[in-house]
Amino acid sequence: MNLFTLIFKRIRLTYKQYLTILFSLLGMIVIIAISYVMYFSKHYPLPITNYISLDAKIKFIRENINVDEVDTLIVGSSLGLNNIQGVYLEKVSSQANHVLNLSVYGSAATEIEGLLELSDAFPNLKRIIYSAQYSDFPHEWYYDNYNPKLLVKYIRDELNPLEHFLLMFRACNNLFFCFKRQSEWQTNHMMKNKFTYLGFDSTGSVPLHIYGDDIIGHRWRGAQPNIQNPKSFEAVDRMSKRAYEKGIKFYLVQGPYRGPLVKKHQFVREALSHFERLNSKIMKKNNGAFLSLHKLLHLEDKYFADRTHLNDKGSILTAEAIGKFIDEKEK
Amino acid sequence: MLFNSYEFIFLFLPFTFFIYFYLNKKHLTEVSKVFLVFASLFFYSWWNIAYLPLILVSMLVNYTIGKELSFHTKKQRTYSAKKLLTAGIVFNLGLLGYFKYADFFIQNLNRAFHSEVALWNLALPLAISFYTFQQIAYLVDSYRQETKEYDFLNYAVFVTFFPQLIAGPIVHHAEMMPQFTKLKNKVKNYYNITLGLFIFSMGLFKKVIIADTFAIWATQGFDIAKTLNMLEAWTTSLAYTFQLYFDFSGYTDMAIGIALLFNIKIPKNFFSPYKATSIQDFWRRWHITLSRFLKDYIYIPLGGNRKGDVRTYMNLFTTFLLGGIWHGAGWTFVLWGILHGFALVTHRMWQKLGFKMNTLLAWFITFNFINIAWVFFRALNFESAMKVLKGMFMGPLVFPSVLTNDVISLREWGLTLGNWSKLYGDESMMGLWFLAAFIVILLLPNSMQWKKKFKPNYFYMTLTILFFMSIFMLYRKSEFIYFNF
Repeated sequence: MNLFTLIFKRIRLTYKQYLTILFSLLGMIVIIAISYVMYFSKHYPLPITNYISLDAKIKFIRENINVDEVDTLIVGSSLGLNNIQGVYLEKVSSQANHVLNLSVYGSAATEIEGLLELSDAFPNLKRIIYSAQYSDFPHEWYYDNYNPKLLVKYIRDELNPLEHFLLMFRACNNLFFCFKRQSEWQTNHMMKNKFTYLGFDSTGSVPLHIYGDDIIGHRWRGAQPNIQNPKSFEAVDRMSKRAYEKGIKFYLVQGPYRGPLVKKHQFVREALSHFERLNSKIMKKNNGAFLSLHKLLHLEDKYFADRTHLNDKGSILTAEAIGKFIDEKEK
Repeated sequence: MLFNSYEFIFLFLPFTFFIYFYLNKKHLTEVSKVFLVFASLFFYSWWNIAYLPLILVSMLVNYTIGKELSFHTKKQRTYSAKKLLTAGIVFNLGLLGYFKYADFFIQNLNRAFHSEVALWNLALPLAISFYTFQQIAYLVDSYRQETKEYDFLNYAVFVTFFPQLIAGPIVHHAEMMPQFTKLKNKVKNYYNITLGLFIFSMGLFKKVIIADTFAIWATQGFDIAKTLNMLEAWTTSLAYTFQLYFDFSGYTDMAIGIALLFNIKIPKNFFSPYKATSIQDFWRRWHITLSRFLKDYIYIPLGGNRKGDVRTYMNLFTTFLLGGIWHGAGWTFVLWGILHGFALVTHRMWQKLGFKMNTLLAWFITFNFINIAWVFFRALNFESAMKVLKGMFMGPLVFPSVLTNDVISLREWGLTLGNWSKLYGDESMMGLWFLAAFIVILLLPNSMQWKKKFKPNYFYMTLTILFFMSIFMLYRKSEFIYFNF
């Protein structure tokens, strides 16, 4: 008889003993799990939403931002996160003194509308800058399991201990997912030369350090198709209208597109002008402002990390241009 | 409330368990029953309280009719008793028809007569198919004098008992009521608790870890992909075959386990169905309580096998056609029922002719038939079913690239090598899941066999703990498939 059989199968317990040991062990496991979740939530972004960059941003805001001071929000997909450096916007503009870049990688316009529900967390907000390009407009997507009211309370640290506890455990109810996030965090999100980089500057922007071999070929060479969903424009209409009703100035900024691709493809030119035409109209209607950085800056290739993403040098230029534009509009 | 949710596992279940036995300890047995009914109705209302009045009305009407029927002795089975029974059945079927089939009927009417009658868009009340069948069985049993008289409270416990309320097993009044009244069952039983926890944890593991993993691949193939190559299509259909089994049998294990905590034994519903070597064998192992219902309340009343071969075949076919329709209001379910009806008739003829078949071949044919028939069961419409079936039988054959060296010579015959599962991602991981699933369904004991073997030792304790660890993967807190029926 081997040791395994002896320990596992031969030792018979009374049912009461069995239950006592079982519940003790299960209790220990639950306590270990709770401890781990608390450790994880301190050091890594809790998986509250289905976007890691939003999870990371929420953690960043809670730890680094005075929410009552924020007067300027930058939103958008990576075209908001990477293409505008909030730090330089603060430097250049006399109006935008406390900038927060709330952009989320991969967000569609309809998702940005949801994201802006978090603006309730910032009571002194004066302006919203939505940085986008036509390539952000094909999909009608929405965040999964998204509860903005709860997140506003979480960002403002206004959850009671029970609510906070429940939020942590709902977020980590797949403990293995948290293990995975922990193990991949350093390699996937803390390496500067990746498009998944989440090293925020003091305003939450992510300047891209992508040059030379780190540039992805097909993203550099190929243009995105001209698919612009009417739902995206409807979302822009609603969010700018809502901002106006709250007394917040809404800016829609069209990002730069690599010049050679615009020159080469008729459909890109059409896409850019369609995007500009419809959004200008919406901005006019809702007292917002439209700014085409593509037309204004005519950036050379040395400022691009791919067809639409700018590198850290390019994102300084855009921030400066936006800063001047805001000052002009809000004189 | 889902069995696989934190609120159920950490709050509802322990709270209900302790209060129930506390009340019984204080000899408040009637109060404990009232509590159990309220707890069960709370459990039921968690989804949508709007469904609550319906189940209450249904219980009240059925109890009144059942009580009236049970007054008639055998000799008194008069015309009026029959009329009363018919009225009861019509009431139940009417309820089911109104909520479940009205829109289906209107749609077909519109199609047939090119009319444009507006759909009613009624929400299907949760568990209606199950509690309706359970109560029809109660009425028939009352008519047959097979139920003893119990008061409404007992009846309410029988219908609403939360472990089996939502998706069965479909239980008989006669097998449940004596258990609720037995004094011995009013006291905590440590044997039942240990066993119940083991079976519950096994069900939790089946649902959360296995079924929900296969669900991802099945959904990808059925609902998202526009076309499927041959291997993708087979992967899709097999993924659903496994998902459905582990989902439903996982739910049943959890129900059996929870009921055991309350010292109630509910009948088994599954017994390794994919080991079946004939379609008849399959239906003796799959959703056993539904098969029992169909046999006792449809097949036998239609005449069973007592009226000659042709009538037997017709009865079998009709029974399974109705079984298909019970599962859902859609032509895909009708077709699924027809396929199973035909298969059972064919099997019966085969037996009659005295033919024999090699066991392995018999298993292979049975398993594949079931797998193919599930395509209609799962597909949202005929187009989706045909997409999967077309892929399975006429889709392009793309072999995994790891086989390049072995089958390269077949290239000239039109064979393609490459990323055969673009749809699913990690091929090797998926292969392991399918292999593991086949091992579990074909070689390992089923949960009812595990239940028999159970001993209070460290081996079973370790298994229970490992299974319970599934609670750390509840992020896919998905509903059970049979909640839709």
